[in-house]
Amino acid sequence: MLTSPFTFEKPTTIADAIEAVGDSGESMFYSGGTELLLAMKMRVIHTERLVDIKGIPGLDRIVLTDANEIEIGSRCTHKRIAADPVIREHAPALSTLCDNVANVRVRSVGTIGGNLCFGEPHADPPTMLAALNARLVLQGQTGVRFVHADEFIRSELETVREPDELLTMIVFPRPTGPVTYRRFKHGERPSVNVAMAWSMEATSSTIKTARVRVGALGSRPQPLKAVEDALKGRSIADVRPAIEAVLAEALDELDINDDRHGGADYKRHLAGVLLLRNAEEAMTRGKRSR
Amino acid sequence: MSNPTDSMSSVRPDLIEKVTGRAEYITDLVVPGMLHGFVVRSPVVHARIVSIDTTAARLIEGVVDVLVGADVASFGRWGVVLKDRPIIAIDRVRYVGEPVAVVIAETVEIAENAAELVDVEYEELPRATTIREALADGAPLIHERHENLEDFYFKGGARPTQNSNVFHTYRSSVGDVDAAEAIAAHVHEDSFTFPAISHFAMEPHTVIADFQGDALTIWAGAQTPTAVQKVLSRLFGLQLAKIRVVVPFVGGGFGGKASVKIEPLVAAASWKVRRPVRVAQSISDSMLTCRRLGAEITIRTAVDAKGRILAKTAKLLLDGGAYSDTGSAVATKSANRIMGPYVMPNLRLEASAVYTNTVPGAAFRSIGGPQAVWAKESHMDNVAAAIGMDPVEFRLINMAGRGERTRPDLRPLDMDMSELVGRVTQSPVFETQGSNRRARGLAVAATDPANTPIANAIVRLKIDGSVSVSVSSIEVGQGAHATMARVAAQTLQQRFSAVTTLRTDTDIAPYDWGTGASRSTVVVGLSVESAALDAADQIFDMVADVWELPKDSLTLVEGGVSTGSEVLTFHQIFHRALGVDSGEVVGRGGITPRSKKGALAESPLFWETSAGLAEIVVDEDTGQIHVPRYASAADVGRVINRVAAEGQDEGAAAMGFGHALFEELEFDDGQPVNATPIDYTIPRITDVPPVFDTILVENGDGPGPGGAKGMGEGAILPVAPAIANALFSTYGIRITDLPMTPEKVWRALQKRK
Repeated sequence: MLTSPFTFEKPTTIADAIEAVGDSGESMFYSGGTELLLAMKMRVIHTERLVDIKGIPGLDRIVLTDANEIEIGSRCTHKRIAADPVIREHAPALSTLCDNVANVRVRSVGTIGGNLCFGEPHADPPTMLAALNARLVLQGQTGVRFVHADEFIRSELETVREPDELLTMIVFPRPTGPVTYRRFKHGERPSVNVAMAWSMEATSSTIKTARVRVGALGSRPQPLKAVEDALKGRSIADVRPAIEAVLAEALDELDINDDRHGGADYKRHLAGVLLLRNAEEAMTRGKRSR
Repeated sequence: MSNPTDSMSSVRPDLIEKVTGRAEYITDLVVPGMLHGFVVRSPVVHARIVSIDTTAARLIEGVVDVLVGADVASFGRWGVVLKDRPIIAIDRVRYVGEPVAVVIAETVEIAENAAELVDVEYEELPRATTIREALADGAPLIHERHENLEDFYFKGGARPTQNSNVFHTYRSSVGDVDAAEAIAAHVHEDSFTFPAISHFAMEPHTVIADFQGDALTIWAGAQTPTAVQKVLSRLFGLQLAKIRVVVPFVGGGFGGKASVKIEPLVAAASWKVRRPVRVAQSISDSMLTCRRLGAEITIRTAVDAKGRILAKTAKLLLDGGAYSDTGSAVATKSANRIMGPYVMPNLRLEASAVYTNTVPGAAFRSIGGPQAVWAKESHMDNVAAAIGMDPVEFRLINMAGRGERTRPDLRPLDMDMSELVGRVTQSPVFETQGSNRRARGLAVAATDPANTPIANAIVRLKIDGSVSVSVSSIEVGQGAHATMARVAAQTLQQRFSAVTTLRTDTDIAPYDWGTGASRSTVVVGLSVESAALDAADQIFDMVADVWELPKDSLTLVEGGVSTGSEVLTFHQIFHRALGVDSGEVVGRGGITPRSKKGALAESPLFWETSAGLAEIVVDEDTGQIHVPRYASAADVGRVINRVAAEGQDEGAAAMGFGHALFEELEFDDGQPVNATPIDYTIPRITDVPPVFDTILVENGDGPGPGGAKGMGEGAILPVAPAIANALFSTYGIRITDLPMTPEKVWRALQKRK
């Protein structure tokens, strides 16, 4: 199967790329192509023109800013993020996640931005980035806007990004406590995944706040509010009973599809299993680093 | 240490071509003037074709023509057992994916773009998409009539039930099952199901056809090129000698390229445009071309108070899909393969193949074997549990010994099944630290390959001592060509590097039944051996005649013939005998059911055997099964190429892990759900056991060259039931349908609690 014919451009600035895509709806940004080209070959996506952003300098940067935030350029490949020293030091769970996304070919050319913009519900990064409280930087013809990772995916395979907006960067505060991620998969994509990030004071063993996101169950990652509330202000030693006290109720609130990845009750159960395993790991890490 | 050049000279030449990227597959070939076809497929499950409008597609620049059913209706139907298949859908489609048009264009891009403009109007018909639906009262008939081709491809034919969707039923009965059950101490019955499974060859079906007047050349990855030749000859009214089938390297077949697949379709496209046409399918297309038959199986065993089997009954229903292909043989074999290597004095077997509105069923590595052995070996452990006996012990006391028949019409067992059981249970992989004796499951299989002892070979010995071997066996990655070269080299006492096996080409190679059923090493190998002996005999004749020596004083040595007192080079022999410094001898060898005083005629030619012992660990929170250790044993008679033989065994077992844990080609009311390589999961290297022991038993007692038996289809069989038996004994759950997904296991664990 081959794509239908299209033209190809490779601009060297963000402005030119946005200009090239324009608002006609007939052009698309392109970088790794691991999702896009497959969809084009299966002829579920048609486009007149691909605008390659790989010629734009700066979109593959990863830095820790003076504001203590981590910025990841949208066209960083999973492989690049997995190996990056900043990510390894400050968000090792994200590094590990990127090291295990899909398969080696996808990791080598597929990008974090492409992964997010595709809006695939059964994906690893959206869940993690939502737990990390990331903001996504969208640049369009009229300027720049920030969207929270929680709000980025609108529905299955659909995001809030306008066709002529380029996702340029992902920004999240440097984690101050353990970040954990687990997924369950039996096949190409995750059936369920759970990411949890704790904010902590440097010398304390108390969780200031916790963010917990469960992904792949509905169209976008969902928070486990009850668990987050239960963990707030809690000492690491009390984490397990705190979660267990509210877990059933929290899991009940998840919106879960029955699909090829499993029945809703099974996946709800798996979310709990993964969460508790994350908690065990976070407790170990949290204690070790303090 | 041996020098690298020497060790490389024993490496299979095809592997060197492959790793250096020089090996040519069909998509690497360009035939001058070649056009490209793109197949338009039915999106509907079962429908009458109201109209096909190709006008818009034809208007696209670069489109040469569009083939539709009306073009070829006059050629009639084809098949290899039942003649039930049109070249391309004529007035009706019977499954999603059935070809309804082929757009033929200058480039594949143009063809694919134009294919979107072919407008087909369908009127949906009532459907029968599962075995149950197809057998229900008032089920729509998927085929109204059955035209049987007796002895066309396999010996025998199909036994269809008129006015039903049952296109074949096989029955076998020994003794009196009812009487045996009446006196039995225990009778235990189980039911199992088995899904449709995709072959998932790395190389999809790809064919180039070139119709030239009354001659036709086909380049195809066909496992049975002479069957392709025969079907095309009948279909298009061409002489066999005018049809040439060329098979370059093939990127995996597993039975999915056996018999005949898209060759008639592509030949018809070339017939229509009078130019060469290539159709290169995608993996998704190939997933809609053929698949393993799903099954519903009921099996019952009666035992006496000591646990000895008195009677066995099995009823198997196989989902044959929309066209029969070789589904009838799959059903028959499933009945034979559900017996196992056991003594069963009373036996009642019945297997039926049923049409459904889904992708056609086809041969697949050990036809009917995985379905049957899944049920039979899971059932064995259930029976053992029901009578309170250890499952290994239960098997051993019921095992038929070497020389015993499991059924009167089949050859006596030619191996010691208990030896294989001993070898896997004593495998050193289970001696390692952390191994858990209690988390293991065993399964065994003895199957009857349809070896069809009909093959020919030509071995030509050249003046410089080089040798060419010409056979119709295809090189599909299994190493058949190197094996044939090795047999010729050993027989002629020449270096392996002196022998070349020619690419498969029916214009050059003599007739052979085909590459499948674990038969090539034995049947074609024997033909090569006999052709090599014939060539040697002709050389000895020349020497005896010219040098006036007794023939029995002559022996072959590297590069020539030893007379006992001196070595004559092949150069010297040809030069002196022929008067010029040129020439070759052409050795011919053939195997028929009459060869070796009829010793090859009885079925099976050898028993293909396997034993598998799996050790498992289940994550009870998620239901995921891990198999940290596995041992696989097969009696192969004699190993000819160890790396290739172990690779075949390991490859078969890896495929078995796919069947056991991952694979199912799913249909939802006839619509394929996961017929893409993204949605269909096969095991990765990280999904197969990290510790794997391949045990090849060699007693030199097979019918093939040097005592070899066939192999490569055995190790797939025990994997699923061995894992299921470990689940049963260790975790107390019995899974009765494949694959054993984590969700299924988790649900079973929940129910147990």
